[in-house]
Amino acid sequence: MATLSLDKVSKRFGETEVLHGIDLEIADQEFVVFVGPSGCGKSTLLRLIAGLEPISGGTLRVNDADMTRVPPARRDIAMVFQSYALYPHMDVYENMAFGVRILGLTKDEIDGRVHEAARMLQLEPLLKRKPRELSGGQRQRVAIGRAITRKPKVFLLDEPLSNLDAALRSQVRLEIARLHREIGGTMIYVTHDQIEAMTLADKIVVMNEGRIEQVGSPRELYETPANAFVGTFIGSPKMTLVTARREGRRFSLSDGGAIEADAPADAKGDVMLGMRPDALTLTRDRTAEGFEAETVYTEYLGNEAYAYVRLADGTMAAVAVPPNEDYGPDEPVRVQARSGMLHFFDPESGRRLRHGSLADERGDFNRVEQARR
Amino acid sequence: MFGMRITRRGLWIACLIVPPVLVLALFTVYPIVTALGYAFFDWNGAAQGDFVFLQNFRDVLFREPFATWTRNAFLHNIVVFAVLMVVQNGIGFLIAYALWRNLPGARFHRVAVFLPVVLSTIIVGFVWKLFFNPLFGLVNQTLRAIGLDMLAQPWLGQSSTALGALILVNAWHWIGFPSLIYLAGMQRIPGEIMDAARMDRDSELSILRRIVWPLIAPSATIVFILTFIGSFNWFELPYIMAGVDGSPYGSTDVLGLYFYRTAFGNQSAGTQDFGHGSALAVITFLFIAVVAGFWTVHLRKREIEL
Repeated sequence: MATLSLDKVSKRFGETEVLHGIDLEIADQEFVVFVGPSGCGKSTLLRLIAGLEPISGGTLRVNDADMTRVPPARRDIAMVFQSYALYPHMDVYENMAFGVRILGLTKDEIDGRVHEAARMLQLEPLLKRKPRELSGGQRQRVAIGRAITRKPKVFLLDEPLSNLDAALRSQVRLEIARLHREIGGTMIYVTHDQIEAMTLADKIVVMNEGRIEQVGSPRELYETPANAFVGTFIGSPKMTLVTARREGRRFSLSDGGAIEADAPADAKGDVMLGMRPDALTLTRDRTAEGFEAETVYTEYLGNEAYAYVRLADGTMAAVAVPPNEDYGPDEPVRVQARSGMLHFFDPESGRRLRHGSLADERGDFNRVEQARR
Repeated sequence: MFGMRITRRGLWIACLIVPPVLVLALFTVYPIVTALGYAFFDWNGAAQGDFVFLQNFRDVLFREPFATWTRNAFLHNIVVFAVLMVVQNGIGFLIAYALWRNLPGARFHRVAVFLPVVLSTIIVGFVWKLFFNPLFGLVNQTLRAIGLDMLAQPWLGQSSTALGALILVNAWHWIGFPSLIYLAGMQRIPGEIMDAARMDRDSELSILRRIVWPLIAPSATIVFILTFIGSFNWFELPYIMAGVDGSPYGSTDVLGLYFYRTAFGNQSAGTQDFGHGSALAVITFLFIAVVAGFWTVHLRKREIEL
């Protein structure tokens, strides 16, 4: 049972401010993922919540109790580290029991908790092993087990999957989702992998340069990114951004062709278009309306394929193409947009333009989705 | 024969290995072996006498007055070792921890603590002899200046304080060494393990005892073994500060001085006794080698790969 509340939390290292007044509310039982490019401050924010770094300004509350100056071991928070950080001189049992001992439980209660966690993570046969006798995946499970035995209010996970190989990674990802369902608890998870973020999160916090860019469900972030940064950060291949001139329904690149699209009324003059690969189509018909482009290469992934094309202004754009269509390099093509699937941003601030037209953007998106099926 | 062919590579390796092996043989192996040989003979001054087999060993261990002198010196070595383990290594550990935690001024102190280590023992010995001078020495003058006149002692001149004073000088001289070794060990502990420990425990002492200390076991092995060897080989500092007789009245006598005095003579009794001296040297060497060997094996078992 834990809600977290950050109020204007900031962090300075000497003269450099790395987190600028973070405001964030996290609900009980919520699975929150912090994502962002490296150096955006997501790990630092996690360490502030853990208490491993002192908070320079603002307040951190857990269940309305001020935790800003409470030492880490007394915050009722457990953390899973990127390197697992198991104690190399202790066996698995001791690693899991060490942190529990501070809670003032009896020996039997501690023993019960360790065995409960070990059972949940299939660690029971390994309890007498030392960390160096374990595989990477097993170490990872011990690190998670160590957090579980504490029965903390909040779990913090700092890129917990980044040291695992790809096959194990998706397996442990499912495991973490299952654990969250089983044991509940509020979880905060830091990653730079947007697949982890999209699949695990109830709520994603996108960070950039020490600020929160947007907070929302995976669907909200994908469908209505608050700005161009979030638009390009969430979704793979990346959303293409081009600045085009609007005339009515036409958006044209200077000497690069034009596309037609419905747009919000406040998109006037120059507009930044955000085009995801599935919002675009290619045609070889050079007389057709559309952005002029040249193919560069094609990524064939079996059930899907992406053509990368260079627009007249030099921008590279990823376009979802039917996997059975084959594009060679340097083919002149036209890029067309699916109406209703484009995003419009202010070219100066990068902020989403949303006023004055489509009253319900979600409704519009769903309509398009249905039309595609 | 194929196996014996001389190759360029082989020559190179030989060129690199032969000189150090020769030096080692000449200055380490040869003296040890000759000392062992000398110990089995009766000596008259520098003249080799009869082969007496273990008689010299029996003399220094069991025959008076040698036996008392040996016991006296050996007990002093044990005191030196015990006090250095606690004072020099204990304080060294605390200093290392303070430097590691980056307490204010850590950069300055990192250098300052290690500075005495680079001083020659001769210099340290003479300077501290001046400091301990009962009349104008720094130690007593400071004590008098802060009103502790009754604590002002002739530190090196009385049996009750001389050995203690020497040990403290040694600790002052070498404190930077255990500090440096411990600090290096602490710096090898991954940051995330310390973070995990801070999430698990809020008592600094508990983290120090349960996490830091076990993880710097390799440093402790080095420090303990070198302290042991150094304590039982202790010679220069007592020689300079207390003289070859371990004055006053043998209260600072240690195996190193006793051996030197026996083998090469002292000012008052100019006799040289290579036989008993060599026996002492051999016994000391065997004692150090055997104990250090077993102890190293034992300490190694605590060590954990990070």
